[in-house]
Amino acid sequence: MVKGKKLFSTIMAVSLIGGALAGCSSKAENGANAGADTGTNAGVTAPASTEPANNEERALKIMTGVIGGKTPEENVLFEKEIERLTGIKATVNKPASDYDQKLLAAIASGEKYDLLQISKSQMNSFIDQGILTPLTDQVTGSKVLSDPSVIPTNEWDQLKTKDGEIYGVFTKYQGGTMPIVRADWLTKLELQEPKTLDEYYTVLKAFTEQDPDGNGKKDTYGVSTAGLYDVQGFFSAAGLKARYVQTSDGKLDVPFSTDAAIPVYEWLNKLYKEGILDPNFATNDSGKMRDLFLSDRVGMVTYWDAWVGMFNNTRKQQDPNTTFEAKALPGVPDANGNYMLRRGDPDVWVIPVNAEHPKTAFEFIEWWNTKEGITLGSLGIKDNDYTVDSGGKLTLTETGEEHAGDHGVPFWYNSTVEAPFGKLPGVQAAQDLVNQYATLELTPPNWADAEKIINEYSFNAIMGELPAADAVKKMREELKAANLID
Amino acid sequence: MRAAFKFKTLYLMMAPILAYFAIFSFYPLVRGLVISFQQYRLIGDRPFVGFANYSDVLKDPVLWDTFGNTLVIGAGIFALNFILPIVLALSLNEVASAWFKKITQMIVYLPHLFSWVVVGGMWILMLSPDTGVVNQIMMLFGADPVNFLSSDRFARAVMILTSGWKEMGFTCILYLAAIVGINPALYEAARIDGASRWQQVRYVTVPLLVSTMKVVVMLNMLGILRMFDQIFVMSNGAIADKVDVIMMYTYQRGILQFEVGPATAAGFLIILATFAITYVTRAVIRYDEG
Repeated sequence: MVKGKKLFSTIMAVSLIGGALAGCSSKAENGANAGADTGTNAGVTAPASTEPANNEERALKIMTGVIGGKTPEENVLFEKEIERLTGIKATVNKPASDYDQKLLAAIASGEKYDLLQISKSQMNSFIDQGILTPLTDQVTGSKVLSDPSVIPTNEWDQLKTKDGEIYGVFTKYQGGTMPIVRADWLTKLELQEPKTLDEYYTVLKAFTEQDPDGNGKKDTYGVSTAGLYDVQGFFSAAGLKARYVQTSDGKLDVPFSTDAAIPVYEWLNKLYKEGILDPNFATNDSGKMRDLFLSDRVGMVTYWDAWVGMFNNTRKQQDPNTTFEAKALPGVPDANGNYMLRRGDPDVWVIPVNAEHPKTAFEFIEWWNTKEGITLGSLGIKDNDYTVDSGGKLTLTETGEEHAGDHGVPFWYNSTVEAPFGKLPGVQAAQDLVNQYATLELTPPNWADAEKIINEYSFNAIMGELPAADAVKKMREELKAANLID
Repeated sequence: MRAAFKFKTLYLMMAPILAYFAIFSFYPLVRGLVISFQQYRLIGDRPFVGFANYSDVLKDPVLWDTFGNTLVIGAGIFALNFILPIVLALSLNEVASAWFKKITQMIVYLPHLFSWVVVGGMWILMLSPDTGVVNQIMMLFGADPVNFLSSDRFARAVMILTSGWKEMGFTCILYLAAIVGINPALYEAARIDGASRWQQVRYVTVPLLVSTMKVVVMLNMLGILRMFDQIFVMSNGAIADKVDVIMMYTYQRGILQFEVGPATAAGFLIILATFAITYVTRAVIRYDEG
């Protein structure tokens, strides 16, 4: 009896922990039944009808990470604005945080959404699970989306699967990352824009040692990063792409684990040893890195094109007479003079296979890429974020100023739609660099495992805990041993 | 049946609690177990695949790496969280000044109230190689700055020490509560027998804390494999291979890689391991013998 009690109490204790651990999964399981109840759509990837007639109820249930109102109250206005402009009664679920987890839980628990806003890597996972509606026929048949002035033809290549299918449509123009330099410091210290690794070293050393902020203290760093996010502009010097590449014989390889990367690691190690690279680079998040740049503590960061404008605008708002000038650089060219920057994974609209209004959803996607849709995604809601006078002139309200023209679409592809208030200073030049030199990274499903190994040895090399050559050798050996490279 | 009717009020009071655990713990547990045997898809059919998910995670070297990290860091935290609070509680018990005792108690207890997001962020700042207070103090004594949070050598120690710092106050209060409950007559008898202050602590206080120690051991043991928040906040690319614990593995596979089947299988392996550790610990410390 006593033993029975013991066993029972032990099982109870462990079960309680187990319950907590399995909590998320339980929601997911609910979806098994839900998925099975979805009639003809369940478990199949049947293409949505391409018939033009849309007899569906004009309603949409949408889940987004960044598209929508900035507050729950504004999100209600956002839904009403969609209805006013399109006649579609939309419900926009925009979680305040932890989007990926909430998205996973919502879908798995059986909630049926007509539209989801997800990243390209998530789209690939969803395609593998067969839960997205193919949109190839609808996209090619769409007057709006097949228009190259709305979305340039070659951009679609980013979204196509190996067999040429399209499952998602861009929600916005996705930029890229690059070195961003304090151009005013370059001028002050009479330095030229760097082009080679040696020139970068000279400039960054000067930023560290020549008191560019003029406060009489040695309190600046040449460059800061948030971990290895994103050093592509420097590895470009060796012609190496971050993450994975597919070699000519179809094998997957990690260029950062090749011998060609050794000189770049040695260069970064030199920056670290000499106190030119922010010593907190390994623990920095992007917010800390931005703060360092905005507070005159560092002369160069590696970050998004859009932030060139935000940096300039932030400082201009703080002090209209500031000399602060952030400027995008193309990184370092390789021996053949080619630059190599990183393009961000695009965000896309996708239609799940169990969507109740797939035709209306596609209609909305088309509208999203028109002037009206772009205005809603950027400026926001009429009479809340902006007003229009009788002459058609737009004026931002105080709320609109705060929201900085971003309701999920700060930039867009449609070249026929002009930004009503122009772009922030420096952004266009940065975007030109992205368009000219940036390419997407190849991210296989097992990237998280490879990333851990690459990070470990890259940090070891940069921080001098291992000679660069040894770090690269071990990195490669471990990647091979774990079958993470061919 | 008659007994059930006799105590119906008690059963009625228990009902909401039982319902709560049934809905939020046991039901998810059973559904999770089912998922761990399925090829999981977010929408649509989910065929059963037997033990394939378990086989997948058990063959994954990353699981074993993270399990190793969990055991090393967990053992360190266990040892620290067992010894430090006893020392602190016994020391505080010797303090005569009531206000000093209360203020110290409050100070050591405070970190327990904060989430790891706050505590982790604070330690990241304090351990910063350039502006962190720890390195500033070290540099005062002529030492070179150390990059504690991006060095393989210090990573695990940092996790153990910061965890000990955060949880020490909570465990200390358990011991202090137990010490307050000790019959003063026992100390009086010891004093009459000529026991020194140290002997009173050694032969009266400590033996009477054994049952509380057992509770602390059990609580700490149950927590070892559930470690997550601290590592999630304080880990970074440079030290991930040394500090990523087994719950990080389930998070990465389930949430980041959308591989819910293997992640759930890993979750159930953790439950089994916790079951085994708990059972062995109960036997070793003779938990039920008071």
